[in-house]
Amino acid sequence: MGLLDWFRPRKLAPAATPASELFDDEFQRKLEMLALVSRRVFSGRLRAERRSKKKGSGVEFADHRDYVPGDDIRSVDWNVYHRFGRLLVRLYEEEEDLSIYFLLDCSASMGFSGSQKFDQARRLVASLAYVGLANLDRVTVLAMTEGTLERLPTTRGKGRIFTVFRFLSSLLPGGTTDLAESLRAFAAQHKRRGLAVLVSDFYDPAGFEHGINVLRYEGFEPYVIHLVDRGEAKPALDGDVLVVDCETGDEREVTVTPGVLDKLGKAYAEYLGDVERYCTQKRVPYLAADVSTPFDEIVLRALRHGGFLH
Amino acid sequence: MTFAGLPLGTVLGVGLGAAAATVLLYLLKLRRRPVAVAFAPLWHRVLGDRDASRLFSKLRRWLSLALQLLLIALLALALGDPRPTNALGSGRNLVLLIDTSASIQATDEKPTRLDAAKDAARRLVRGLGGSDRALVVAMGAVPVPLSTMSDDTTDLLVAVDRARASDTRAELGRALELAADALRGLPNGEVVVLSDGVLAAPPTTPSLGSAKLRFVPVGKSGKNLAITAFSVRRYPLDKSRLEVMAELANLDSQRAEVELSLWGDGAIVDSERLVLEPGARLARFFPDVGGARHALEARLRYADGHADALPADDHAYALVPERRRAKVLVVTPGNTYLEAALLLDEYLDVTDVKPAQYPPPGAFDATIFDGVAPPPADKSGGLVYLNPPAAGSPVKLGKPIKGFGFDTWDKKSPILRFTALGDVQVATGHALEPSAGDKIVGASDAGPILVSGTRGGRAFIELGFDPRQSDLVLRPAWPLFVLNAIDSFSESDTSYLSAYRTGEVWRVPVPAGAREAELSSPGGATRSLPVEQGRAVTFGEHAGFYRLTSGTADARVVTEFAANLSDLDESRILPQKKLAVGGENAPPPVVNGGGVRREIWLWLIVAVLALSVVEWITYHRRVTV
Repeated sequence: MGLLDWFRPRKLAPAATPASELFDDEFQRKLEMLALVSRRVFSGRLRAERRSKKKGSGVEFADHRDYVPGDDIRSVDWNVYHRFGRLLVRLYEEEEDLSIYFLLDCSASMGFSGSQKFDQARRLVASLAYVGLANLDRVTVLAMTEGTLERLPTTRGKGRIFTVFRFLSSLLPGGTTDLAESLRAFAAQHKRRGLAVLVSDFYDPAGFEHGINVLRYEGFEPYVIHLVDRGEAKPALDGDVLVVDCETGDEREVTVTPGVLDKLGKAYAEYLGDVERYCTQKRVPYLAADVSTPFDEIVLRALRHGGFLH
Repeated sequence: MTFAGLPLGTVLGVGLGAAAATVLLYLLKLRRRPVAVAFAPLWHRVLGDRDASRLFSKLRRWLSLALQLLLIALLALALGDPRPTNALGSGRNLVLLIDTSASIQATDEKPTRLDAAKDAARRLVRGLGGSDRALVVAMGAVPVPLSTMSDDTTDLLVAVDRARASDTRAELGRALELAADALRGLPNGEVVVLSDGVLAAPPTTPSLGSAKLRFVPVGKSGKNLAITAFSVRRYPLDKSRLEVMAELANLDSQRAEVELSLWGDGAIVDSERLVLEPGARLARFFPDVGGARHALEARLRYADGHADALPADDHAYALVPERRRAKVLVVTPGNTYLEAALLLDEYLDVTDVKPAQYPPPGAFDATIFDGVAPPPADKSGGLVYLNPPAAGSPVKLGKPIKGFGFDTWDKKSPILRFTALGDVQVATGHALEPSAGDKIVGASDAGPILVSGTRGGRAFIELGFDPRQSDLVLRPAWPLFVLNAIDSFSESDTSYLSAYRTGEVWRVPVPAGAREAELSSPGGATRSLPVEQGRAVTFGEHAGFYRLTSGTADARVVTEFAANLSDLDESRILPQKKLAVGGENAPPPVVNGGGVRREIWLWLIVAVLALSVVEWITYHRRVTV
C-alpha cells in the first residue's frame, strides 16, 4: 500500500465483469457441450417426466400402503395378497414438470478479490440453467442480497437462455449476506416446490445453516453449491493491520504473523468442512466450486455425481 | 560518582524531556493499515484465543514503554559521562618500552616476537583508564619516542604500530633513563618493558624515582644459528685472489647440522655442510674464492632446509676490497733499498724524482720523502718521511740517539702488520717529539722513532732514522713496512675487511670538500648524512649493502659498504621470563580487560545498543508481538 492509498476511498467490492466477457462465444460453445452430455447422462428418460414427491395416478410405482375402506379396488395389489395374505394398495408417483430455482448470493463477499467467486457463480448458474431449460424444466433465477430478492421470472425452453444471460449480467455484488431472511422471502413467494440450487460462499454472519434449513423446512429440495476461493485463506498481509469485513464493516486489529496466517488457513478449512459436513448430515447435495476450477468441469461433476437432476 | 560530561541538572532535564515525549507517543493510539477481508468472523475465530491474553498484551505494551524509558535513562546518563570520583585526577603515567632490537625479530612467536610485544602494548593502551596517559618508546640501541605522553588511545595505537625492529641491541639503560626523564614530576609512574629479555645490561642502574618497573615477557624458544663474523680480504702478495672468513655459532642446546653457502654477486660460489655442537662457535675459511667481483653474502641454515627462529643473523654481507693501482711518488737522491721494496708490489705505479724536481705534475696516493722534507704539494696524498731534516719535518726532531732499536711498537697498527721488529738494530737517528694527536707507532727506550698523524688534513708517517743506517733494510719487515704505509694511504687495504656493525655510529670516509652525503639503505630508502671531519656520520641500524654518494656536484663519488649484525649476545635469543633491575624482579603490569576503560558512558552506550538489538530481534521475529 502506497502513501496515496491513504487518501483514496476504501474500496471493498470491485465492479462485476461485463456480460461480453462473462458469457462469450467460448462459454456458449461449452454450454452446448454440456447440454449434449446431460442428454447422454439421462438417456432413456422422457422429457418433462420428472418424479415428484406426490403419490398419485402416475404410471411409475412408488410404494404400498394398507388398504382402507373406500380405496379403489383396482389399486389393490393382488400378488402381494396371494403371497402374504395382506391387502395393500399400490401407490404411483405423480408426474409433473420440475421447477428449478437458482438462488444466487449477490453479497459483497461474492465480489471480493476481483469478483472471481461472483463470476464463477454466474457462469455455474447460467450453465445449470441451460441444462434445465434444455430438459424443458421450469427455471427461475433469483439474486439475493441483504434479505431481498431480485427475480428472473420462471421460464422454460433453451431459447430463453439469453434472457438468463441478460439477467445475470445485470447483477452486481454488494450488501450483506442474510440467507435465512432472503430464503424465507423466496419460500413465501414461490408456492410451487422444486429443486432449489443455492449458490453462495456462505459467508453469513448469522450462520450458513439457517438458509439451508429454511429450504428444507419449506419443502424444497436444496442443492448447495459452495463457492470457494482458497486465496482468501492466504492473504498477502504482514505486520500490524486493521482487518475490515467487506460486508459488515466489522473491524479487528491484528498483527499478522506467519503463525496467524497458518491459523487462518486452518480456520478456513474448518469452515469449509463445517458446511460440507452439515449438508452431508442433512442429506443435502453439496458441491464445492473452487474459483480456480473451470466452470464446465464443475458442472460435469454436478451432473455425474447426481443430485442436480433426478 | 562524578559527571565529567553534562552536569547533573542538564542530564535530568534531557532525560525527563525525552521520557515525557516517549510517554506521549505511547499514549497516542497506533493507526493501523486497514485491510478488507471477505469474512471477518474467520479472523475472530483465529484471534479468539488471543483475546484471552489481552491482559498480557497490555502488559507487554507497558513493558515496551518501560524499555524505552530505560533506554532514554541510559542515554541521558551517558551524556553526563559518569565516572568514579576516585578515578578523576589520579591516573597512571605509563612509559611503554617496546623492544625493537634484532632478537625481537625472532619468529618463535607468530608472526614475530615484535608483533607479540606490540599486541601486549595494544592491550595495555586499550586498557588505559580515562585519566591514564602513556608514552610509547621504541627501545633499540637508541631509545626513540614514538608518541607524546598522551591519553589519546588512537594516537598511542598508531605509535605502537610504528614500532619497527632494527638489527641492533636494545639498550635498556638508555631507555630507562629516557623513561625516568619522561616521568619526572608525574604521579603514578610506571615503566613497562615489553621485551624478550635479550637486553644490553645497563652499566649503572638508572633511578626511576617513584615510578615502578613492569615487565611483559615475549618469546618462547632460543633455538638459533648465527653468523657472528664475516670478512673478505685480498692476499697481501697476490691481490687478485680473495680469502673469506665466516664465524658461525650454534646457540641451541642441541647438535645442529648446518649448511653455509657463499654467494658472490647474487650467484652461489661455494657451499658446505657443517656440524655444530651445542653452544659451539666455528670459524670457516674459504681460500682462493672465485666468482665474486663485488659483493659477497653468507647464508646459514639448517641442513634439512628449515629456518631457525631468528633470520636476521643468518645472513652476513661484505664487499670485495677494491683492487686498483696505487700511484706512489718517491722523492729521493737515490735509495736502492727503497726502490727494491717498491718493486715487490706489481700494483704500484712508482714515480722517482730528485728532490730538486719536486713537485712533479700529477696526483699521487702517497709520497715518500727520503731524507728530505720539502713543503708538500697538493695532490701528494699521504706522506712518508724517512729520516727527514728538522726543517720541514712534520714531527719535531728530538735529541740524536745512537745504537737503539724498537723496544715497543703497536702490534695492531696496520703500518707494522706482518712485521717483526724486535731485533732491529739502528746505528744513528733522532728521537721524535710528537705533537698532541700524533700516534706513536714505534719507540726505543730513548724515545719515539716511528710516528703517524695528520698535518693540515694530510696523513703522514715519519721514521726517525735512515733505514740504511740499520739492518731493517735487510729484513722482510722493510718492504712490508713500506707497502703497509702506502696501503694505509691508498685505502687499498689488504687486511680482513670487516663490514660495519649495526648498533654503532658509522663514520664513512668521503672525498675532501664534501659537506653532505646521501645514503641508500638496503631497503632502497635514501637519506642525507652530515659530514664531519671528512667522514659521513650515521647510526647503523640495519644489516645489508649500503651506497653512499658524496663529493661535489662536479665529481660525485660513490662508496659502497656492507653492514652486519655480528653480535653474539643479540643472537642469544633465549627469552628471559624475568627482568631484574637493581636486584629486583619487575612484576607484570596491571592490564584491564580488553577494551575496558574507566569510562562508564561507553558501557551505557553498549547497554543501549544491546537492548535495542534485543528489542529489534524480538519484535521483528514476532516474539513479543
